[in-house]
Amino acid sequence: MNITLKNVSFSYSDSLDDAVIKDLNLEIRSGECVILAGESGCGKTTISKMINGLIPHYHSGTMGGDVLLGDKNTADMTLAEISRYVGSVFQNPRSQFFNIDTDSEIAFGCENQGMPREEILQRVEGVVKEFRLEHLMGRNIFHLSGGEKQKIACASVAATGPEIFVLDEPSANLDLKSVADLTEIVARWKKAGKTVVVVEHRIHYLRKIADRICYVKDGRIAYEWTPAELEAKGAEYAANLGLRCVNLEQLKEMGDARLRGYDKKGVVASRDTAKQSLNETILFTDLHFAYNRKFPILDIPTLTLPRSQITALIGHNGAGKSTLAQVLCGLCGRWRQKRKARKYGTYLIMQDVNHQLFTESVLEEVLLGMRPQNEKAALEILAGLNLEQYAYEHPMALSGGQKQRVAIGSGVSSGRDIVVFDEPTSGLDYRQMLAVSATLQKLAASGKTLLVITHDPEFILNCCSNIIRMEHGKIAEQYPLQGNQDKLIESMLNV
Amino acid sequence: MFAVPAVLLLFERKWRFVLAFFSVYLAAALGFDYLKTMDVGRVGSLAVSTMMVVSHMMPITIVLYYVMMSTKVNEFLAAMARMHVPTKLTIPLTVMIRFFPTVFDEARAIGHAMRMRGIRLFSLHTLKNPFSILEYRLVPLLVSITKIGDELSIAAVTRGLSPETRRSCVATIGFHVQDVIVFVYCMAVVACLVIASRAKQSIVDIISALFS
Repeated sequence: MNITLKNVSFSYSDSLDDAVIKDLNLEIRSGECVILAGESGCGKTTISKMINGLIPHYHSGTMGGDVLLGDKNTADMTLAEISRYVGSVFQNPRSQFFNIDTDSEIAFGCENQGMPREEILQRVEGVVKEFRLEHLMGRNIFHLSGGEKQKIACASVAATGPEIFVLDEPSANLDLKSVADLTEIVARWKKAGKTVVVVEHRIHYLRKIADRICYVKDGRIAYEWTPAELEAKGAEYAANLGLRCVNLEQLKEMGDARLRGYDKKGVVASRDTAKQSLNETILFTDLHFAYNRKFPILDIPTLTLPRSQITALIGHNGAGKSTLAQVLCGLCGRWRQKRKARKYGTYLIMQDVNHQLFTESVLEEVLLGMRPQNEKAALEILAGLNLEQYAYEHPMALSGGQKQRVAIGSGVSSGRDIVVFDEPTSGLDYRQMLAVSATLQKLAASGKTLLVITHDPEFILNCCSNIIRMEHGKIAEQYPLQGNQDKLIESMLNV
Repeated sequence: MFAVPAVLLLFERKWRFVLAFFSVYLAAALGFDYLKTMDVGRVGSLAVSTMMVVSHMMPITIVLYYVMMSTKVNEFLAAMARMHVPTKLTIPLTVMIRFFPTVFDEARAIGHAMRMRGIRLFSLHTLKNPFSILEYRLVPLLVSITKIGDELSIAAVTRGLSPETRRSCVATIGFHVQDVIVFVYCMAVVACLVIASRAKQSIVDIISALFS
């Protein structure tokens, strides 16, 4: 089924003057796999919402032009009708499920279309076999990992057998192993002759499947390449457009060029101070956690972190990385363990920073954990994070990156020496990732010790100096990044 | 009335939960019964009224918990459709079933964040500003659940959930012997209570208090 966008414009307000999409034309042929790439806020997600009918049927705003699925105009169809042709998978695995158990979730779309019971059961069985989900059936959605959730989401969309699939940043919260599973799923759809539209700034996992990459800028399609063409232009070119690396193998050759696009002065300075304290380490002992004595989730007798440096914590989903972070911060474990953890002085920056911003202004947020409270010192901390002009704003009114920096500020003000980050760069484009990396390097230069849970190889190469790889609740290996870039990428690709 | 959700929860193997709630409920109900006629002073009356609220509200909350825990969204939709309840009413209700576990999940994460910041329920800071603790809890919770609510409805509509189309259902539902037993029991208890309040006889009062 062809998708045709004819002179489409859209604005989330009443007039088309501040349109997000401006007079855009795009034709996607039946059976094609197209990536809509671009920096955050360029309008690529809006385009995907036009294809799955959320615009104009769910989001209010002003729309011009026509979107055709085959020869039908989406404006004349209801959302229920559109959902028969278009299946959608979204970015956030936590909130795209309507049911609480996996079985009903996969059957949900079919039930909504009023299919007879036997046919639904047959389709569910078929999809489960096709996606190899046998081990996930009958489970509570809340107990699945991000990658597993995303697989269930794909399967439940596929069960109704739509002609078109629209995926909105499906890889944002996944580790590389789950991303590889996603590649396989998209490849299968393409082989079956389905039309697939993926909104992404991570292209590497679809470079062998996608037919075209459309680069969206300011609501228009600025460039169009095949993945091979983009790859041939080199990593530098993609980075300047805010795109992530097209081929992870390219990262190996980058060496010192890895700090592209970032002011190198500050970093060199921080490296020098880091060298002075290179031999200093922080030692943690007896990090254990188990729900059940026979199956420990976390079993680490000793953990050493180099002081004032950034250490990356890698390992696939379920290896115990988040549990380690929580134990380090005294959020789980036995009472004695928690009390001991408080002595370490660790602070966790959560993946969803919305959970840790409580107060009415940015300044208050920083003052809250400060003992004794000192407004001048708080403002200094904010200035260090480029937030001084927002001191009296409400934290929830800020952008995602700014919120993250506010949370960092509150950690710094509480006088903790060790800051743990849980996937700070998930879903970020290249430019945003560089900004986070710069903040972290500044923090390390000021003497903080950082431990970063991450699945993002580009980010690790950009700012981390040490790697810890976890496996089954234990530390599998620990090594400095210098000279081990190849090893890192290999181990991340082969998880 | 407590007996119904307690037995049903036992079928779901929630032994500890039932035991804990049953003892709290019994303590509150008996305590209230014993103290209600005595003069206990100001602090005491606060305790007595707390007991009353607990003993009256608890069975209802437990029933709600049981429904949320054991009902699947599609079963609920199918049962309601069978009873000819309009979909305009049932779809928002299903969103609620899906919503509660999410809210608890979010609340737990926020609790973690608060503990890390050293904000505790009882401290000098919170004693000075008792409302601040409410604000710290609620502001992030409200922000994240409005966002999740929006994303959930998007997920539902793009999967074709709409009041206009007729749904089918994989789950087999029906009204069986078990349902009849529960139904009759509930009716009997209600009838007992009505008679008790009419006649104001102390014996019936005691019996109904034991079963309620």
